[in-house]
Amino acid sequence: MSTFLVNAGGLILMATIVWWFWLSPSDGSETNQDHSHH
Amino acid sequence: MSEKTALLPALSISGASCQGCVRSIRAALEPLTGDVDQVEVSLDQQTVALPESIDTTEAARLVTEAGYPATPLEDSGGGEDNQCGHSGHGESSDSSSQTSKQNTASAHGDQMAVDQITLSVTGATCASCVNTIEKALKSVDGITGAHMNLADNTATATGRAAPEALIKAIESSGYGASVIEDPDAADDRKQEEDRKHYKELLVKMAVSLGLGIGLMVYGMGFGTMMVTETNQWTWINLGILTFGVMVVTGGHFYTGAWKAFRHHNANMDTLIALGTGTAWLYSIVVASIPGALPEMARHVYFEASAMIIGLINLGQALELRAKGKTSEAVRRLLDLRAKTARVIRDGEEQDLPVEQVKAGDHIRVRPGESVPVDGEITEGSTRIDESMLTGEPMPVSKGKGDEVSAGTLNTRGSIIYRATRVGSDTALAQIIRLVKKAQGSKPAIGRLADTISSVFVPTVMLIAVAAALVWYNVGPEPAVVHMMVAATTVLIIACPCALGLATPMSVMVGVGKAAEYGALIRQGDALQTAGKLDLVILDKTGTITEGHPAVTRTHATDDDTSRFLALAAGLEQHSEHPLAEAIMAKAKDEGITPDSVTGFEALNGKGVQGNLDGQVVRLGNRRWLEKEGVNLDGLQNEADAITSEAGTPLFLALDDKALGVIGVADAVKQDSEAAIRRLHDAGIRVMMVTGDVDATARAIALKTGIDDYRAEVLPEDKATIVSEMRGKGYTVAMVGDGINDAPALAAADVGFAIGTGTDVAIESAGITLMRGSLHGVADAIEISRATVRNIHQNLFGAFIYNSMGIPVAAGLLYPFWGILMSPILAGAAMSASSVTVVTNANRLRLFKTSSNARKGGNQ
Repeated sequence: MSTFLVNAGGLILMATIVWWFWLSPSDGSETNQDHSHH
Repeated sequence: MSEKTALLPALSISGASCQGCVRSIRAALEPLTGDVDQVEVSLDQQTVALPESIDTTEAARLVTEAGYPATPLEDSGGGEDNQCGHSGHGESSDSSSQTSKQNTASAHGDQMAVDQITLSVTGATCASCVNTIEKALKSVDGITGAHMNLADNTATATGRAAPEALIKAIESSGYGASVIEDPDAADDRKQEEDRKHYKELLVKMAVSLGLGIGLMVYGMGFGTMMVTETNQWTWINLGILTFGVMVVTGGHFYTGAWKAFRHHNANMDTLIALGTGTAWLYSIVVASIPGALPEMARHVYFEASAMIIGLINLGQALELRAKGKTSEAVRRLLDLRAKTARVIRDGEEQDLPVEQVKAGDHIRVRPGESVPVDGEITEGSTRIDESMLTGEPMPVSKGKGDEVSAGTLNTRGSIIYRATRVGSDTALAQIIRLVKKAQGSKPAIGRLADTISSVFVPTVMLIAVAAALVWYNVGPEPAVVHMMVAATTVLIIACPCALGLATPMSVMVGVGKAAEYGALIRQGDALQTAGKLDLVILDKTGTITEGHPAVTRTHATDDDTSRFLALAAGLEQHSEHPLAEAIMAKAKDEGITPDSVTGFEALNGKGVQGNLDGQVVRLGNRRWLEKEGVNLDGLQNEADAITSEAGTPLFLALDDKALGVIGVADAVKQDSEAAIRRLHDAGIRVMMVTGDVDATARAIALKTGIDDYRAEVLPEDKATIVSEMRGKGYTVAMVGDGINDAPALAAADVGFAIGTGTDVAIESAGITLMRGSLHGVADAIEISRATVRNIHQNLFGAFIYNSMGIPVAAGLLYPFWGILMSPILAGAAMSASSVTVVTNANRLRLFKTSSNARKGGNQ
């Protein structure tokens, strides 16, 4: 049971990280497109 | 081909410096205009002209995205009330826009149509912070571009917005910000703040490391770091004490992490907070309810949390001190400014603070004193040491009518001069502004590092969780301890602070170093490109040569050169022709008094003539003198030698007797040949373009060792030649003066404006050389190469550190050698990596160019 809980918790944590930092809209949503090329 | 409609200046841009930029801007606007010919970019004006029908706001957005901060021109008209339509701002809006303009004026003496607001930022520590801050600034209405410089902790926003809005945006992202009102005062204040911060960090480091070491000693001295029934309460109390120390000495990491998190960002603080927080949380759970975990897993890591914070504080303190050294070049320039000036007003001399000196004031400078403001000598003569501005080691003779620059040193006589440029208009002030601006600019290589680090921190968090799960599922017992150690270690070791510092630190030192050698680099990009050059195109007049005629040879038939020169000068003293000036200068140099020649007459296309003691003296070309019956056969060899050296032979005759020949030429600068050899040594091909005839060009090319030349080139064709060579795959530098050669300078990958003396604000050139020597080009290229090499080393080090550190921290070596890294070691390694980067960048300060190394140093 504890193994399941730890693994599930870990995967949920990873999904949350992906969602929070990459998928959910942030305040300055235009983000990294400005790093240009010269 | 589409018909070209009338184009009107529509956008004000910044950062466009070459034809490559023009192409990028045209390409960026093509979706809007449908045709690149419908876009005109003025590099001089920094404007873009578009057909009237184009939406300028959208155009500004596209150009800004292409890397050139742009604003629609109608917005910058200013002065119109309520132009932005915002209500409720009232007076504060007005006053803030004033502040904004003041900042523009103070930050950029050169004409910038786009407003730039520079803010001092606190709390930024890594590449992710840079991204967060730039993002926050760009989210403010009216801001079209933003750029954060981690090396000096300033952020520059381009566009129009109230500074308060920018500060608020930065503060809500978890950092502190304030407007830089007076850049000079800000430097002093920042230095003071840095000193205070340094001491603060040392105290925090001592407290947290003290606790960490104390805990380790306690653990080892009293048996173990394991929680047992007997020591449980002791560990709980020590856990609470650790918490207190963590908050006091590392509170800024936790607040920074929280603020970033709220804005969906992650930075170095996030990793430290998560790493130390995980270790503490695990330990306090073990201490509070040891029964919940297997016996082997009842180990506390309070000492790790305390020591990591201590080590990171130590790393930041060392970094702060090293950062201070990188801005030494600017500080040295700032120190050149005189505090007072001896002003002569109403016949009285008085010492006044330099701020009170006005243009037109007469100022006395005595030997050993420095020149307080720019001006023109009205009385006296002296030798001025200009090495601090131009890199030219020898003091320069100055007399009435010559210009003197603020910051230079009067080495000999007492002079009085009239102030022409004061305050922020002086050449010194312009140099300081340029150097600071370039130090803050980010070359393409730095932007790449930023892009990588923006995805770096969340990726590390994923790796930490994944490593923890692997340890939990397949690791040995106590699995829960191992998973916690692996996750904490990964989080701590992976901080991208070294990555964020790698580029700006080296750029700062490199630009400062170049300034020491009299090469002012305008943009980080110019610095990076100058390192890659493989073809240097030189303009002839004034670049390879002195730019004005001088006597190169004198040959008297009776070997009495003095007598011969006295006669020639006697004639030419009445003429204002450039050739006459050259002969007069030669006579003056040799201390020869001109003869009293009367009845002077200048004969167009022939020469000059006069009378001396009843005899006719003639100085002119061969055809004329031979026509007058003078036999010049004995001077044939000398005349040929002069012609072969690209000079003009002038024959002197008394009645019908030939006295000798004088060679006048635009002489090759003494050090041009050596400088060209240095360029060859650096593997660079050297080419010359000139408007002169082929014979002259060939003679100069032969004399100086130039690989290739193009003669009889019209000024406007120089840019075409530059483009042609770029088309052949060369990375081309054009070296010339900033005015006539401006189009060619702008067309090159890097433009060098040479020997412009005090006019440093040349828009068309990426690099301005303060002294007239071609050695400046070789110096700038060598420094650029060293800087780019330094950046590569830094980035390589930072990447290698992370790419090796993370797997080791995750426990990759454990299956083979049973090694699992301690979180404390990870903290030390992380601090060491950023200290290494900063130290490596500082190594550049010791760099000497090849000319300098040969001479054994000139400064």
